[in-house]
Amino acid sequence: MERTDSRSRPRSSPRRRLSLLAVSGLAIPFVLWVEARAQQPSADASLVFEDLGTQRFAIPDCIPKSGDEASREACRTLTQVLKSDLQFENLFKFVPDNLLAAIPPLNPDNPNMIDFGGINASILVVTRAQATGSDLSVEMKVIFVKSGRVMLAKRYSGKADNPRVFAHQASDDIMTLTQYRGVARTKIAFTSDRDAQANRRTKEIYIMDYDGFNPRRVTVNRSLNLLPAWSPDGRSLAYVSYRQGGPEVFLAHIYEGRSQSLTSGKDGQAFAPAFSPDGKRIAYASSRGGNMEIWVANADGTGARRLTSSPGLDTAPFWSPTGNEIAFTSDRSGTPQIYAMDSEGLNVRRVTTVGNWNDAPAWSPSKQWSEIAYTSRLDGGFEIAVKNLESGEVRQITQGQGSCEYPTWAPSGRHLAFACRRGGKWQVAVADRLGQRVQLLPAGAGNNVYPDWGP
Amino acid sequence: MVRRRLWGLIVLGIMVSLSFHACGGKKRPPAVAQGGSSSSYGRDASSQAPLPLDSGPDVQPIGNDNTTGSEFEASDPLTGEGGPLEDIHFPYDQAVLTEEARGILEKHALWLQNHREAKVVVEGHCDERGTAEYNLALGDKRARAARDYLLSLGVAADRLTGVSYGKEKPLDPASNEEAWLKNRRAHFTVSR
Repeated sequence: MERTDSRSRPRSSPRRRLSLLAVSGLAIPFVLWVEARAQQPSADASLVFEDLGTQRFAIPDCIPKSGDEASREACRTLTQVLKSDLQFENLFKFVPDNLLAAIPPLNPDNPNMIDFGGINASILVVTRAQATGSDLSVEMKVIFVKSGRVMLAKRYSGKADNPRVFAHQASDDIMTLTQYRGVARTKIAFTSDRDAQANRRTKEIYIMDYDGFNPRRVTVNRSLNLLPAWSPDGRSLAYVSYRQGGPEVFLAHIYEGRSQSLTSGKDGQAFAPAFSPDGKRIAYASSRGGNMEIWVANADGTGARRLTSSPGLDTAPFWSPTGNEIAFTSDRSGTPQIYAMDSEGLNVRRVTTVGNWNDAPAWSPSKQWSEIAYTSRLDGGFEIAVKNLESGEVRQITQGQGSCEYPTWAPSGRHLAFACRRGGKWQVAVADRLGQRVQLLPAGAGNNVYPDWGP
Repeated sequence: MVRRRLWGLIVLGIMVSLSFHACGGKKRPPAVAQGGSSSSYGRDASSQAPLPLDSGPDVQPIGNDNTTGSEFEASDPLTGEGGPLEDIHFPYDQAVLTEEARGILEKHALWLQNHREAKVVVEGHCDERGTAEYNLALGDKRARAARDYLLSLGVAADRLTGVSYGKEKPLDPASNEEAWLKNRRAHFTVSR
């Protein structure tokens, strides 16, 4: 989905076909059209949120443009999801609902800034929606309360079957006013046994929205399918499948419904794929040389070569955001620990020094924070930890509620997802990068593991 | 002259093959399989480990090629579970073969001698503790240890395929010591 930004392209009003989603394995392909149109003159660049911590958002209820139930229902979803998206970003403050309820009803065509100033709001978000048959159109204005200036005005239209998408788009558009990339339209791939038939331990690959809604199945081969890894362009997933016997790496082109083999059976087992940030190379673990080592190949699987040569088990490769280094797990020192090397396999150095079991590194994609998340064994259970590579400081993200493993960063590096065992069931959970807010996602039936947060 | 040399070669070949079978029955192979050297781990039959040469005194009875011993119950083709060869078990976070495991593998090797049409997938499994990737690597090491020991006992490489399942296919999905013990195993999926 492309973004039309009224700040950078004020006078253009492009109608864009934003996305065609037809995930393989879906009984009903899901087609979405959204057009975005800039309606207002450009907002001044100086209006970009300067002091994020002091901004207080007022998000009054979306106002239906007609009185029909479909428009009212779309409005309810839109308000709720937009609030939830912006709260998840963990950047802003919000005017409480009881204060919003205390002022006179919003006039969407001419909001009374004195009312909103009176409840200490600095940013007002006005949304309207109209459902017409199977179509939905949504308007959003972001207004600076003090001056009354419109910072952002957007209009979206598309199919009415998933109003959440409109709210995610609106949230990401508001985030363009900050220095950070919005998270609302990102997706998380994962492995689940939810569709396993009785007595067969099959697992398939799925994707879902970042908030756990809208899960969709990708693989349909009724084998074991594990460890999905997004390509940087978000159009394909590398994953491990046993569909030909032993574990091998495949690439699923999820919007085309086809997959290709990246490693082949005669070479020994291969798993734990990870794309380089430029999408041109793929690293994985393989025993094709007789011992478990890190290998790297071109993105189509050709040109494979071995990077490590230690008698221990080397596994779980993960690229640094520059693509110049690869973190991985090795038990060469006796217990599993995180190591890093340059992408040619040289200059191996140990990263984790605290704890006797550290595994499954995920290097933050952020340019701002140089840090690696990983799984660490503490008091018998496994927890998520993050090591800051500059200060050397280690912080624990989860604690003591049952094992958590397999961290993955959101594309901004501001949030983490991982899988936790809660009440005997594995579920995907998310947290901010400091670990202050950890929440389980409503990811549906079955055990849901190995999340990979995609673009 | 040429013909005579040819006969000589044939006789030599028979002697070598007899001495190999004798060795299989007499000499105990190394207790721990060599991990790093086994390029034979995959499905490549040509890269079998070198046959041990030993001038043992006796000849071991070899299975009849037209064996009637083909009566056996293969593993469930859907789940891979069951079958004529019992599992071997491993200590936590280790891939070494215990004395008990080696004893079981020796029985398996005999059974395989007597059921020459049987093919085996040697599966390495782990308990649920630790990450998916580490357990896939550990399961690979377990499958390799079991397979290498069977190879050293004279089972042909093209009858043994190794596969790691890590912690993805536990025999017992419970989360306790008893289940973990069952799940740290090499399983032998047998097909015809």
